[in-house]
Amino acid sequence: MISVPSPRLVEKVTHYLHQGFHDHSHSLLEPPPALGDPRWTDELIMATWFQAEHGRPPDGIEHRVGRSGGGFDRLDFKFLPEGDWLAHSEDIGTAIPLNRRDPARRRLEIALPIYGGGMSYGSVSEEVMVSRAIAAQEWGTLTCTGEGGYPDGLKPYADSVITQIATGLFGVREETIQRAPMIEFKYAQGAKPGLGGHLLGDKSTTTVADIRESVPWVSLFSPFPFHSVYSVEDHRKHIDWAMIMNPEALISVKVSTPIDVDMVAVGSYYAGAHVFHMDGSYGGTGAAPEIAKKNIAMPIELAIPKVHRHLEQEGIRDEITLIASGGVRTAWDVAKAIALGADGCVLGTSELVAMGCTRCSNCERGRGCPFGLTTTDPELKEWVHPDWGAMRVGNLYASFQWQLRDILRKLGLGAIAELRGRRDLLRYIPEEFDA
Amino acid sequence: MAMAEPRNEQLEGDVPTVQAVGYRRYHIDTAPTPDLADLPHRFLVEVDRVELLKLLVKETWEYWGDWDVVAARPCVYGVFSGPIGGFAPRPEHCVGCLRCTIQHPEAVTIRHNPEWKAWGDTYLSPKLVETILSEATLGAVPVKGQGYRGRFGGPGWDRIWTDMSEIVRPTRDGIHGREFISTVVDIGSRPMHLATNGDGERPRCLQLPLPILFDSPPESAQTVVMARLLAHAAEELETLAFLPLPLVREAGAASPAVVPQLRASELAALQPAPRMVEILDDAPAALALTDAIVCERLPFEPGWREALLASIAAGVRVFHLVADYHGRGDGRFVRDLVMEAHALLVEKGLRDMVTLIGSGGIAAAEHVPKAIICGFDAVALDTPLLAALQAQPKGSVTDAATARFRLPESLNVEWGVQRLKNLAAAWRDQLLEIMGAMGLREVRRLRGELGRAMFQRDLEREAFGGIDGYD
Repeated sequence: MISVPSPRLVEKVTHYLHQGFHDHSHSLLEPPPALGDPRWTDELIMATWFQAEHGRPPDGIEHRVGRSGGGFDRLDFKFLPEGDWLAHSEDIGTAIPLNRRDPARRRLEIALPIYGGGMSYGSVSEEVMVSRAIAAQEWGTLTCTGEGGYPDGLKPYADSVITQIATGLFGVREETIQRAPMIEFKYAQGAKPGLGGHLLGDKSTTTVADIRESVPWVSLFSPFPFHSVYSVEDHRKHIDWAMIMNPEALISVKVSTPIDVDMVAVGSYYAGAHVFHMDGSYGGTGAAPEIAKKNIAMPIELAIPKVHRHLEQEGIRDEITLIASGGVRTAWDVAKAIALGADGCVLGTSELVAMGCTRCSNCERGRGCPFGLTTTDPELKEWVHPDWGAMRVGNLYASFQWQLRDILRKLGLGAIAELRGRRDLLRYIPEEFDA
Repeated sequence: MAMAEPRNEQLEGDVPTVQAVGYRRYHIDTAPTPDLADLPHRFLVEVDRVELLKLLVKETWEYWGDWDVVAARPCVYGVFSGPIGGFAPRPEHCVGCLRCTIQHPEAVTIRHNPEWKAWGDTYLSPKLVETILSEATLGAVPVKGQGYRGRFGGPGWDRIWTDMSEIVRPTRDGIHGREFISTVVDIGSRPMHLATNGDGERPRCLQLPLPILFDSPPESAQTVVMARLLAHAAEELETLAFLPLPLVREAGAASPAVVPQLRASELAALQPAPRMVEILDDAPAALALTDAIVCERLPFEPGWREALLASIAAGVRVFHLVADYHGRGDGRFVRDLVMEAHALLVEKGLRDMVTLIGSGGIAAAEHVPKAIICGFDAVALDTPLLAALQAQPKGSVTDAATARFRLPESLNVEWGVQRLKNLAAAWRDQLLEIMGAMGLREVRRLRGELGRAMFQRDLEREAFGGIDGYD
């Protein structure tokens, strides 16, 4: 029988965990031998822990790239000679507008070119959701409910919380749509394109089932696709419906990255979307078939230039905000995505790593995450207190902002918007130069 | 190109043609079938017992009276839940979450097990073997949390991503509901036009409910038990198993699901004729000697193109194109070879007349749809079958003649049949996942549909072309 842990037990476990994150990320200990993978190397994970503690990147630990052998890991910036660098300054702008086309709706601007991606209640705990919401509010950006309802703990941060409407409509209610600054229609998710959502029975606890209005301990599959959308005209009706329900909110459309993602972007623009959010195939998930993660749809690095270019050719690029996600791990990935043509990025896994995720890939198993992240288990979820979680995510944002400004000044740019689509500032590192 | 006329007597023989049958939805019965032999665990759990003792003493002192706190262990999977806890850890329960080593680095270290890493070889990697073992044990699609952990794209089949649609499904019932996607494939000849005078070529093909066949095992695994279990599993799955004729005879494994492999000169002694035979030498010559559907085994070796066209001209309609176990042949990877074979036949106007079955380099579920997209009609599995049966590779296993596998001592037919059924079910379900995401209703329409594939080379050229250092 699992019960709520005593305060002393919580104190003991969190003390050990926090000490462990500190010692490993400060090179006081050897990296755990089994930590990391080519996408998220041991150094990248520990560097993220460091940033989550200090709000700055570490010296001596690789915090910019992984070792995946492609995509962001093969791109670098062509900085100016050191003498031409700008001074590091808070005047270097990192804000981006989300509404570029619709004066009748919110003039929503986020202070960083990043916001938090959808993670549903059930796939993560309420504590984790609230942690992300607090950080988003403090940093003037957004986070997203995911498709699992809107826990009451998020209400104080409603101005920073995107309500997601996904294909299963789990926990979607009129009032959760009406309180959102932005509404996200999730057509697909990068980690499982074309397959819908997936919450295994073990994690569909009574509280999760209650908020999702489903049956406890039964696996939940969101269908794919929206059963009410057969065409771009139906898509338009969807957006109209949400716009009428909330006349202030912006509309974001989240899709995966098929070969015709550029055409989908144009369709979404004409359907009325303010934000077009592409989720690449290497993105995170609480549970997905392994075959889908690796094989269906293209990585985000390859989709961004395609869509950016197509929107430019259609003459609508400056009227829609292009957001990239799915495998965006570091501030450097964010900057590269923007140089390839995105306006900003959505983070998911990075925020979880900041709160202690080791990328062990057992989110879906049994009681869920042993670090208290991807779980609603009454004991395990206590390992993440929202104040601590918010501080970690907030520090990660601080570090990302600092690094983005550092990149911009070395390129001689005064604002993040100036970097968009500047492929000429990138260089590709061919394989033969690998160490 | 002149085509050999089919023999009339073939048309009137006992060879089944496409048959009208009542509707029955194809289903594979899965059942949990645990491993026969213990394999190396993925992780090693190293505990420093002195440090552990010190930790226990410290915690007992610090939390005296709060026994829930003292007794709390840093593993939710049971590694330290044995009778003496961390003093005798149970690595078989370790999933590599690393919480124990983050919390207590002085006392616990988790390492990858080198024995596990040595399982498989450079192509059929330990990770692939682990996945196959899970599929063969459970018969389910592997589902895990977190995103992809591997390299960006990669060699072989990993250079391909499959397409998907944002709003199109084969039906609106969903893959976990009533949606029906056909995985039926035709193995045999299909005439290009109807002839009403009785002289035309009639279709002579077998319909298999899934595009997955079994190739013959390497010589080191050609045992009686292996032959029987392959034959039985193929029969239960309603597919086909290629087996050497001597082994079929020794094992008494002849069945409608078995395709004997033999030389043309051995056909005369093969009575009654099976549904299909695989000819290892002169397939055109075999056409005149049997009523069975003739399949030519054609290795991807120099000269395969000419041999393929010549055999088609002579009337052979089914080809089993074989690369080595690493997918290599004629100096290239099987992906490129089958694309070339497919394109060659399309160019000559022959593609729809013949069936191409592929073997070699198909080592994971995702390789099946990718191989079909590149041009195969179906695949015949080789090393994945052995992995599912816990056959241990000895060194690098490159080709059937030299590959050495050690079969489990207690290998038996019943266990093996269920393991292969589980594997087939898991792979078929994953094929459905891929096709469902594309919005395709039947696997026959996937064949050669290169527009459903995204090639890393093409996408990178489009995305990174013009960036310094790329070109």
